[in-house]
Amino acid sequence: MLSFLGSAGVAAALAGASLLVWRGVKAARGGTADLGGPSKLVLAGAIVAMGAMQVALLTDDFSLSYVANHHSSTTPFPFDVATAWAALEGSIVLWGLVLAVFTRIVAVRQTRDPDPLGAAALAVMGGVGIFFFGLMLTVANPFEVCVDALATGCAASSPWPWATVDLPVEGPGPNPLLQNHFLMAIHPPVLYIGYVGLTVPFAFAIGALALGSPGPEWLRRSHRSTLVAWSFLGLGILLGGWWAYEVLSWGGYWAWDPVENASLMPWLVATAFIHSGLVQQRRGMLQAWNFVLVISAFALTILGTFLTRSGTINSVHSFTQSAIGPALLGFLVLVLVGSFTLFSMRSQMAATSPRIETFVSREGTFLVNNLLLSVYALIVLIGTTYPLLLEAFTGDQVGVGEPFFNRLAVPLSYLLLLTIGFGAVTPWRGAASGLLWRRLRGPGVIALGAGIITALTVTRVGWVVLAVALGTWVAAAVVGLLVEQARTREAKTGRPFVTEMRTVIRNDQPFWAGQLSHIGVALVAVGIAFAANLPLHAEVDLQPGQSAQFAGFDLVYQSPFRRTEPNRIVEGARVDVYIDDRLQETLEPSVNFYGESAGIVTPAVMTRAEGDLYLTLRSIDSDSVSFALDTSPMVWLLWLGGITVAAGGFWSLAARRAVRSAAREREQAIV
Amino acid sequence: MSERVRTVATASVIVAMAIILLTLVSTQPANLDRVDAIGARIKCPVCQGESIANSPSQMARDMMDLVEDRVAAGASDQAIIDELLSSYTGALLLDPPPSGNTLLLWLVPAAAVVIGITVILWWRAHPGSEASKPALPASRSRRRLLAGGLILVVAFAVIVVVASNSLQERPSTASGVADLEGQDLSEVSNETMEAVIAANADNPEVNGMRLALAERYFEEGDYRSAFPHYLVVAEDTNASPAQAITALVRLGWMAFDGNGEVATATRLVDEALAIDPESTVALYVRARVRWCGAGEADEAAAVFQRLLDDPDLASDTRSQIEADLALALEGAGCP
Repeated sequence: MLSFLGSAGVAAALAGASLLVWRGVKAARGGTADLGGPSKLVLAGAIVAMGAMQVALLTDDFSLSYVANHHSSTTPFPFDVATAWAALEGSIVLWGLVLAVFTRIVAVRQTRDPDPLGAAALAVMGGVGIFFFGLMLTVANPFEVCVDALATGCAASSPWPWATVDLPVEGPGPNPLLQNHFLMAIHPPVLYIGYVGLTVPFAFAIGALALGSPGPEWLRRSHRSTLVAWSFLGLGILLGGWWAYEVLSWGGYWAWDPVENASLMPWLVATAFIHSGLVQQRRGMLQAWNFVLVISAFALTILGTFLTRSGTINSVHSFTQSAIGPALLGFLVLVLVGSFTLFSMRSQMAATSPRIETFVSREGTFLVNNLLLSVYALIVLIGTTYPLLLEAFTGDQVGVGEPFFNRLAVPLSYLLLLTIGFGAVTPWRGAASGLLWRRLRGPGVIALGAGIITALTVTRVGWVVLAVALGTWVAAAVVGLLVEQARTREAKTGRPFVTEMRTVIRNDQPFWAGQLSHIGVALVAVGIAFAANLPLHAEVDLQPGQSAQFAGFDLVYQSPFRRTEPNRIVEGARVDVYIDDRLQETLEPSVNFYGESAGIVTPAVMTRAEGDLYLTLRSIDSDSVSFALDTSPMVWLLWLGGITVAAGGFWSLAARRAVRSAAREREQAIV
Repeated sequence: MSERVRTVATASVIVAMAIILLTLVSTQPANLDRVDAIGARIKCPVCQGESIANSPSQMARDMMDLVEDRVAAGASDQAIIDELLSSYTGALLLDPPPSGNTLLLWLVPAAAVVIGITVILWWRAHPGSEASKPALPASRSRRRLLAGGLILVVAFAVIVVVASNSLQERPSTASGVADLEGQDLSEVSNETMEAVIAANADNPEVNGMRLALAERYFEEGDYRSAFPHYLVVAEDTNASPAQAITALVRLGWMAFDGNGEVATATRLVDEALAIDPESTVALYVRARVRWCGAGEADEAAAVFQRLLDDPDLASDTRSQIEADLALALEGAGCP
């Protein structure tokens, strides 16, 4: 029943997407065609598909093999809902739903104010929709029914909803790692809004190329979607890191793992795109480059999905085991070849846009930032794909990991921080003589001062001191600019300084929102520098009642415990943490057992202003427990900074909306 | 105060602060110890892209224990890494060197920077038809600004270089040994180590490096060069028990393997066992020498059996001993 419903939803969405392509092309060529209807059909189909999946999960309908293989009747809320995106087929359903929502949003604007560019963009989005809904009907069908049940799970399934069902009684439940923490329930949707959102600027770019209108219109029209995508992508990356920290029990949050890299690459390119898009909107420059960036960003989201979902990362040889790998790779090649062919046919546009006058200008610093971010993304790309390509072509095995990325990415990150400070205070077109010196000498002194103070009082580790200095540099440059502008206004109007400061911000909210993101980046850098360079580590064996000293904490091992929860058995150790003989908290590092699978070692974390105490069980038996003890100094700065970066994106979004509705009100008042 | 004076004063303050900062940061090492640093460079064979330092898997833990042992014994980074890579299939170096089939990995980012800069400069020098006029005329002060920017970039580069070096350095002490000990010994040539050891021959602290150098020769099969160093350590009353055991056992093995002197070998290893009767490596080598040299297969099998009872045995050692045990039990000749 649900298999019928879900498949019907997917089929409807596929039909809507096809219709969207056909009518979109027609409308882009100057004809008239209704694009609202098809976009509604896509959305309705996607909602029905996701709805069917959710109902199946919530009612334990094991006749669907996806449910039988990834769900269990004991899976508690919210993990039963989240199981819908815990594995490949379900995650494509989510992808389709998010794509449908973005498509509908673009279509609403298009029906209100139809134009060829919007129509062409919708046709492209329809094309992307055809691919993903097509996947759901073919190689990644989430609504297959089980025809050969196992004791738990399903051995064989049929894509035909009317096939005779062999009903499994129970399923194994989702991957234990994924149901061990609520963050994993929300991390994928957040990340997918980021990934899929990048389809919108891509679609507008391809539309603009196809129509031969390289002007900034396509940027303006897709700017909000780009900001939404960028903010969510950043937030998704942050949640992923946080989840790794809370669940994976090695005390880290980022390991340059291919899955992490897959999300970082589009974020880096999208960040470059947001900056270079501004240059085109303000100065009409970098038209060609913006196309390159947005095509790359979209292609990287597909590449990321390919890398993480085809099994290629685990082994090059698993590539052919499922048809999803070749399908995604084929789509990636199609996107790249198609887009760049179209781009080269319009390459005369690159030659006609104006050039920058001087590098000492906002656009000049953005150019430098684009170079750095692109090289950054390229480093991540080559480091991630090199072992795969080498093995695929030569059979040689090499490893590329954390030390490689750190060696190249860390200095690059510091350079980026340096340019942020310059970019924030440099005006468009060019800085008048002496202006930069006036604006930057203060931040320079403050930054060096902060570095010296850190070196004298906290640590002399070079990377940490440098991060503090450059982070302060960014913050001081931004705050200094705000103070300068408020002072100027204060002198002119005579109103109080604080009022003027608010006015300065209110008058150019998108700019200050961007600066908020920059301060967030600085916080992230300082947090990472501390946590990566100054952690302490120890391992102790304790018997109940025994205590250990570690990094200023007194740890007393009280007793082992064992708790039975609906979906798991939790075995762990109660540890009282004292500072100066005062009990701070009782931590419960544990091993969580889900069904038959091996236990998931789950750390216990105590957060304080100077950083986290991170307790992990190494082994536990009746009379003794072996603990790994770690500190993560200042790691909360990383979470705070990441949220601040995304907050800047959302603020900018809200501000643009306010500006636009104010403009519309004025318009209506005049009419 | 005139604007010019103020500018010069502020600039001097900035330069002075930068110099102070540089002198402050250049000495302190990071908290990362050598064991973790080495572990972070090795891919865990049974994991997906994790290093052995990060992985909770049993094999990674065994490998980390081995790294810890070797670091304690004074082996060089390179020797430890080579040992891990050769004894665990699937273990890979996570920062492959810029040579051979991984040359491109490093060349591409470098080329991208060069090409990127070239393209930007070329793009700027070839204006399109609608190129707008310069907003501000270039003047001497603007050139000065550019020069200032350049200086900042260079200063930054220096900071990065110094900071990255400070990650490697350890606090230096008066003796030249300590200077070298902090460094990654893998980057130090045999000749340099010989020179430092010769210069510090009377300093007991040099034993660690002497042993590391001898291990390097030993692994290369260069018994002749290794021999005098092991001998010095074995006879040095200041050497730590672990160092003395290593030296004695190695001497014993070389006596047997190089010269076939079973009796001498046995005596040397027995000296090691006198220091620590439970030393795994000494027990193993003794059994092996007696088995291969004197045909005592059953005795060797018993020793191997006992060694295998130790639950803390590193897994590569375990598999080696298991293989030997199988041969010894069959009564086959020693490998």
